[in-house]
Amino acid sequence: MAEFFLRAERLTKIYPDGTVALREVDLTVHPGEILGLLGENGAGKTTLTKILSGLLPPTSGRLLTPKGPIRFHSPKDALALGIGMVHQHFALVDTFTAVENVALGLGKLSFSELRARLKKLMEDTGLHVPLDVPVEKLAVGERQRVEILKILMREVRLLILDEPTSVLTPVETAELFKFLRNLRDRGTAVIFITHKLKEALAITDRIVVLRRGRVAGEAKTSEVSASELARLMVGAEVGLSRRALELSWEGIEREEEGTACQGEPSLVVENLRVRSDTGGLAVRGVSFAVYPGEIFGIAGVEGNGQTELVEAICGLRRPESGEIRLLGRNVTGLPPTALYRRGLAHIPEDRWKYGLILSFTVAENSILGRQRENAFQRAGFLRAWAMRAHAAKLVEKFGIQTAGISAPTKSLSGGNQQKLIAARELSKEPQVIVAAQPTRGLDIGAAQFIRDLLRQLRKEGRAVLLVSADLDEVLALSDRVAFMYEGTIVGEARPAELTPEKIGLLMGGVKVGSE
Amino acid sequence: MRRIGVGLRPLLESVLAGLIGLGVGAIIMRAWGYNPWPAYMALFKESFGSGYGLANALANATPLILTALTFAVGARAGLFIIGAEGMMYMGAMAAVAASFFRLPSGWHALFALLGAALAGMVWGLIPAVLKAYRGVHEVISTIMFNWLAHFFAFYLVANVLVDPIRAEKTISVAKTSRLPILFRGTDLSFGIAVAVGLAFLFYLLLWHTVAGYEIRAAGANPHAARYGGVSPRRTVLLVFILGGMAAGLAGAVETMGRPPTYAVYSGLTNIAGFGFDGIGVAMIGRIHPLGIIPAAIFYGGLQAGARLMQMEAKVPFEMVRAVQGAIVLALALPELARLFRVFVRRARFQEKKT
Ligand SMILES: Nc1ncnc2c1ncn2[C@@H]1O[C@H](COP(=O)(O)OP(=O)(O)OP(=O)(O)O)[C@@H](O)[C@H]1O
Ligand SMILES: [Mg+2]
Repeated sequence: MAEFFLRAERLTKIYPDGTVALREVDLTVHPGEILGLLGENGAGKTTLTKILSGLLPPTSGRLLTPKGPIRFHSPKDALALGIGMVHQHFALVDTFTAVENVALGLGKLSFSELRARLKKLMEDTGLHVPLDVPVEKLAVGERQRVEILKILMREVRLLILDEPTSVLTPVETAELFKFLRNLRDRGTAVIFITHKLKEALAITDRIVVLRRGRVAGEAKTSEVSASELARLMVGAEVGLSRRALELSWEGIEREEEGTACQGEPSLVVENLRVRSDTGGLAVRGVSFAVYPGEIFGIAGVEGNGQTELVEAICGLRRPESGEIRLLGRNVTGLPPTALYRRGLAHIPEDRWKYGLILSFTVAENSILGRQRENAFQRAGFLRAWAMRAHAAKLVEKFGIQTAGISAPTKSLSGGNQQKLIAARELSKEPQVIVAAQPTRGLDIGAAQFIRDLLRQLRKEGRAVLLVSADLDEVLALSDRVAFMYEGTIVGEARPAELTPEKIGLLMGGVKVGSE
Repeated sequence: MRRIGVGLRPLLESVLAGLIGLGVGAIIMRAWGYNPWPAYMALFKESFGSGYGLANALANATPLILTALTFAVGARAGLFIIGAEGMMYMGAMAAVAASFFRLPSGWHALFALLGAALAGMVWGLIPAVLKAYRGVHEVISTIMFNWLAHFFAFYLVANVLVDPIRAEKTISVAKTSRLPILFRGTDLSFGIAVAVGLAFLFYLLLWHTVAGYEIRAAGANPHAARYGGVSPRRTVLLVFILGGMAAGLAGAVETMGRPPTYAVYSGLTNIAGFGFDGIGVAMIGRIHPLGIIPAAIFYGGLQAGARLMQMEAKVPFEMVRAVQGAIVLALALPELARLFRVFVRRARFQEKKT
């Protein structure tokens, strides 16, 4: 392949706080090729692609086009060259609708024209979003889709997708892949970042693996196996790579050990009705119970009321009617901290909104919600030492990569931010855990770690409510799974009883009796 | 540096911004045919060139530190409190009114200070309650309350607290209630210790207490803060109470520690403006309690130097103001830009809740 589209030479990125995110990385992007970028959390994937799309300047090294070296001063420069990036975190204007967000920066088009083109693009890509609702009212997955559509509305010659599938359903992912292949066949270059090896193997032509800021290896997708990739990603650490290897082949391992439905239920939801931000009923009479020592999964296409259901259970949204009982007590309508004091922990789906205060340090975030506990304050004064010790413990136990516990949380990589939230919530020693997309954005090792932890909690007799768009994960972890469709639960079953056909029907809202 | 809540970067930014401001000021003077160099020499010679000048710069800084704290503690919680001006008037009124009582020296001053802090606090509590329970926007309400305070104080000065002999001013603060002057012949009083002490207390509060943690959390991300058990209501009330106290004390130090009259003139001419200037000072100081101290001294120095700049460099008063404006604006701009973003985000959050 003589002709390339963009080449990076010896890129090094050192952040102002001294973190070396990239060390002399070389990367070549060819037109008509889907390039997979793999690596553990904090390996430098986002940093690298931010440099390629003009968002960050490299500390040293340069970018080349066939016409010679080039310097980007802003994303606009990169866009002018046809380089567009869909970010891991959203860069949308919250109060604007999808159409308005897309219109931003597109210029001349009239709204009706824009809408028509957007509709066509939604057909082509299979990515559907409500067009006229402010994006802040959309589910995380829907917002991701708006991001992708926004970039695709432009004529891109290099499309960079930073973990686009972590919030998409399998069906949506398949549609997106079809579209990406199409795009590639028309000569567009694609860089695709993911933590899912299966996806990388399915969609990419070539794969580059980053490890701790260096290129650890590169291969043609047709000539590489998942186990080799896993080994490249984690390096020589045998234990982990063996684990990752197993996972890459067999998916998430399944363990049957739940003692479902024994004793008094820890969490009971009865006839719950919850309105969404737009005013419609998002949850229409949902009832279920989670028992100690079991993981109860809620599956279903995102946007069918799961978000509102979780928010209601966790005190972030007032239910319209119905009842929520936690450890035998009616807790409907109580605020989050009151629930936490009664034994509930919550790993929120939207980590930038509810999970973290990005300008706070890692240490400060590690106690958010517990700042009034005696462990962390005395007579109103923060016990800085205790807070720091707590943070250091979490960082150590969860393998959170950070420049230090005094580093601002916004300097952590996406996956490491997620780990910090999970670490904080699980450190509360809860009786009931509500985990919404707990492994979203985590690398294989970290995801496995969190899953093991959830299993551990189950073993200890705690109750886990798992809400995840990752069907494999729900099915592998849960003792019982309920499927949500348009605000109601259309079926509940033990994963072992489910066949792929049955799952397909349930996801689509067809009630299937589980006799 | 990290320890005290800000890095080195803001400091460098401020120095750079200051230089840019001086540059712009110089260009303005040049354009109108004045020589900037002797003008700047005069400006800084007066304020920072002698012990006497420095003492006056510090005296000017005293109320500014306090009103800047009001704005800063609000801004940290994501609130735009414009009301220091009105709270300060109420503090000044209380400080003067305290002289109707007879108490031993020292105790009397303490009593007056407490009274002023309380008056500012009570005045601040009204917009706070309106905000917390009725969602009335603090910018609107505090501006309105500035006017209410203005006319109320106006009335008190002319009718209730009026000096029976000299009707253009209030009675002078009783000798027992005056703040001691630190250097003979200057205006620098013990008030500077009150102001600097309070700045340190505010710093401790914001970065080392649970309440401060919650205030900062609410300002940085109201959603996550609420999720983390921070009550928006409690935060609003607390911030206004703290801010009202600081601004009330500003009114007190300006009356109890300002020779020669130790009084408020009718029309409030000798106390007006400190509340608004405090906003600028807070921004120059990066809304950090400790950053506010040097910012206020610098600002106070600019004021003190204005006279000499007029006299020695023959720059007209309006030009002096314009040049000072350029410097202050340049210094405040980085923080202003940041605050504006926070403010917009906050407004959206409010909108959404209703
Ligand atoms: N603004 C920043 N300041 C300082 N360090 C940063 C900053 N952003 C990222 N880093 C650090 O750079 C390294 C690489 O981060 P990056 O976001 O590129 O990782 P990533 O491969 O995208 O990880 P993930 O899979 O978790 O998204 C990490 O160690 C991270 O802590
Ligand atoms: Mg990333």
